[in-house]
Amino acid sequence: MIRKEINRISEVGKALISVEGNPGVALNHVVELLEAGTNQSLSFAKAINITEDSTRFQVFNGTQGLSTQTKIRMHEVPLTAGFSYNMLGRSFDGIGDVADGGPEIIFDKYVSTRLDTLNPTVRLVPKQPLWTGIPMIDVFNTLVKSQKIPIFAGPTEPYNRLLSQIAQGAQADVIIFAGIGLKFDEYHYFKEQLSQSGNIDKTIMFTHLAGDSQIKGLMLPDVALSVSREFADQGKDVLVLLTDMTNWSNILRNVANYQDQIPSLQGYPGSLYSELAKRYEVAADIEGAGSITIIGATTLESLEDPVPDNTGYITEGQFFLDNGKLKLARSLSRLKQQVNDTTRDDHRPIMTAMASLLADAEKAYEAAEVGAANDTFSQKLLRYREDFIANMEEPFGEPIELEAALDKCWDILKRHFEPTETGLSKKLIEQYWN
Amino acid sequence: MNNNTTRTGKLISIQDSLVKARFYGNVIMGETANVIVDGKSLQAEVLQIIPDPKHADAGIVEMQVFEDLTGAQIGDQVEFTGKSLSVLLGPGLLTSIWDGLQNPLYKLGEQNAYLVPGMKAPALDEEKLWEFTPSVAVGDKVNGGDAIGTVPEGRLTHSILVPFNFGKCKVESIIEKSQVNITETVAVISDSQNTKHELKLAFRWAVKSPIPFKDRAIPSKTISTGVRVIDLLAPVSYGGTVGNPGPFGAGKTVLQHSLCKYALADIIIMAACGERAGEAVEVFKDFAELEDPSTGDSLMNRMCIFGNTSSMPVAAREASVFIALTVGEYYRYQGYNVVLLADSTSRWAQALRERSGRQGDIPGPEAFPMDIPDQIKGMYQRAGADQGTGGSLTFIGTVSPAGGNFQEPVTQATMDATGGFWGLSQDRADAKKYPAIDPLSYTSSVYDSFISWDDRNKMLQTLYEANGIDQTISTIGLKKVPVEKYVLYQKGLTIDFCVMQQNAFHKLDACTRPERLIVINEAVQKLIDSTINFAQDDKEDEEVKEMVKAKFDELRQWWKDWNLSAQTIDEMAVLPQKVEQFILQEEYTL
Repeated sequence: MIRKEINRISEVGKALISVEGNPGVALNHVVELLEAGTNQSLSFAKAINITEDSTRFQVFNGTQGLSTQTKIRMHEVPLTAGFSYNMLGRSFDGIGDVADGGPEIIFDKYVSTRLDTLNPTVRLVPKQPLWTGIPMIDVFNTLVKSQKIPIFAGPTEPYNRLLSQIAQGAQADVIIFAGIGLKFDEYHYFKEQLSQSGNIDKTIMFTHLAGDSQIKGLMLPDVALSVSREFADQGKDVLVLLTDMTNWSNILRNVANYQDQIPSLQGYPGSLYSELAKRYEVAADIEGAGSITIIGATTLESLEDPVPDNTGYITEGQFFLDNGKLKLARSLSRLKQQVNDTTRDDHRPIMTAMASLLADAEKAYEAAEVGAANDTFSQKLLRYREDFIANMEEPFGEPIELEAALDKCWDILKRHFEPTETGLSKKLIEQYWN
Repeated sequence: MNNNTTRTGKLISIQDSLVKARFYGNVIMGETANVIVDGKSLQAEVLQIIPDPKHADAGIVEMQVFEDLTGAQIGDQVEFTGKSLSVLLGPGLLTSIWDGLQNPLYKLGEQNAYLVPGMKAPALDEEKLWEFTPSVAVGDKVNGGDAIGTVPEGRLTHSILVPFNFGKCKVESIIEKSQVNITETVAVISDSQNTKHELKLAFRWAVKSPIPFKDRAIPSKTISTGVRVIDLLAPVSYGGTVGNPGPFGAGKTVLQHSLCKYALADIIIMAACGERAGEAVEVFKDFAELEDPSTGDSLMNRMCIFGNTSSMPVAAREASVFIALTVGEYYRYQGYNVVLLADSTSRWAQALRERSGRQGDIPGPEAFPMDIPDQIKGMYQRAGADQGTGGSLTFIGTVSPAGGNFQEPVTQATMDATGGFWGLSQDRADAKKYPAIDPLSYTSSVYDSFISWDDRNKMLQTLYEANGIDQTISTIGLKKVPVEKYVLYQKGLTIDFCVMQQNAFHKLDACTRPERLIVINEAVQKLIDSTINFAQDDKEDEEVKEMVKAKFDELRQWWKDWNLSAQTIDEMAVLPQKVEQFILQEEYTL
């Protein structure tokens, strides 16, 4: 097939180029950029803004080295992602090209990266717990298959370690690792961990390192999620690890800025919410097919930053990591109610009781700082708080089964309180206190 | 506009969902158009008409397209329809689940598991037969909004109305009682110009033109929502408006689901606007198995859902709320009490923000369009009670403030626009005190409650005072607080723990009806009004306080158990007695 070629590049900016006139390219379709004399392929690019006078493209490999002489070859298709079972165990870049130095892959098919919305009527209401062996998750914020949930953490927190730990234990047929703006050691850490646990053969890694072309990072979730979706459509349970979506949002912000879009909050485009939602909403349990669970990482300075704030409204809860501990107060699994009423009968009540006591304890802790927690009960609360942080909020360590974790909860309560102080019903107290 | 040639244009600019097209002839502001991309027809709406600097005899029209435009090219055809964005009104609306543009999702699901641009299906089932009973005869005079007959829709009687924009008309013909579908003509009427119009069971109505009231009234009858803190302290009446803001994780969703399940209304419309798809799915899949509290039917029989969920095209988000409002107004006109839950109005406002940004408008605060407060007020104004029809439309909109900050423009405009306000607090949610509606801040209501204004104020006052003492305790310590203040603090804690907090997932506790509220209020008022006879003997203050706390702990545990177990009238009546005994500090047995 002979493809139409033009060379009318009129403007080369950061990550974007413009072409004069209307070369006949369609929105979101891909073109290839070729070096003038040699016809060597330099990069692919995507048409994002078309008028009768000019057309603007996002250049996947960045614009360094492009000139007004660079040729543009039309491909007349939107970006697709290659799909094959041979991808398992391999690494790719943000647009799905092999990135581990290994042999090229002959793809079985190419899938659309448009991420069309799944018709809500074919979604199943999620009902299957994913046990992690981490009491703070299993007891207090149970994870559910097909959930979308990020880890919120400061940039120096061990969020990747936690992400990796959850992934190791998770029951999934396929693990898709999608890393955006990673440091090389982070990438290496995940690869190492997945190899050690024997999960590497069911893993596909899509990786964008900090410093790689921004547009490749921007495209990465779409490519990784399209491949995930194809596995799910074929009946597989897929776990997607998205880290770190703050990096991705920052690329989105940069590119919007290059396009002169009017910023809304802190320079992010007004579409930040929709753009994040489009990716996270790929998580689903699909009737007659498989499922996609997304666990992400969102680094933050403050919970009020636009990225974690928008993410919180999109995802089905969040795990909040602070000082290496999984904090009960700001963590939430929105789907836990779907699964935690069929476990042990004390599961829900003890979860509520302990959380409520911990909130009181936090108040007592603040009071103690000004020397005001001088009554007996406040002292009890302070000891409880310490115990809780050490024994319940610690995410790393030997995995604990749910029943053992619940027993551990009762032990903690018994160590510090009288039965009536817990707010638990008489019936449960009789059953579990002794 | 009535000539037979199709008016067309050609695309000259494409950016995300915003396109420009050149046209010759006439284009109407606000009309819809179809953009033909790769043979697929995508729906669009005219936003602005400007002159064409290149062609004096042409114009340029700016439009937002409601679907993904991948593959669109310069020169693609645009066909103008002459009609503004509208909704199909008629029998079959109830139990339906649509996308934001009234495409039925189950029907689309038969074509593809994914929502692919250009997919369409009739908004209402065109095959289903309805038993039409005429209520007018040939020669009768009818006006817009008058019924010409009825069909049964579930347990409701659905009136077939003359479209509201009609003036005085005469019935020329009408069919006998028979089974018809929505595409068949049931009557012919002629207007004052003697033009004849065919009427069917369903008609289209422009979503931005509010359906009129017959006789608008002040909302005066309180809705039993089943949620205690609402029904006692921040109630809403049929026809009222409520804004419900809260940071993420504060429990907006669970509250919306509770209202769906337990609020007493004829019809519940849910506009899932830019929120998680999973939550809407839970409603239409799981709630279908639950019982309607007033009829015992499946809960879905009183519901319809518009789902423009967060990953669906943003441009259709604005439309989804207006479509839902129009359906609500339609049923109000039929005399039904409709509750519309819009989740979330912030996403709606953000859709307007995205659009105005692309159009290059000068941004207002936080880049929202300058007129966003007026648009929000205009939207809430469409709710209301109608004493002419006996129907009402209650509008409960959730707000998702950025950063949980209630000072942001959408929350502020909503506070200004609504009669009730349920502010969810992060602190209460963190403490798992659900529902996290904070009666002490950002919560208010102009509507009557199931208890008297006096009782309501007294309850609030006690909570206020207890909160003040709580702050004193955390700053100067319990020792400095006198015993009688400590007792007041414990009273407040008890009201909060046993009445304000409610378990939305417990079969009995999830929903409290007025008769139970009255009993609870009796107990609460007794507790507030009375001095409690604690045996102080010669104990130190500290010991007394410990004893007071232990006694109240016991009462609270008992009361919580009562919440979870008391069902019969006799069992319910035990609560005030128990409080009475508690006040007297008599020895009691359970």
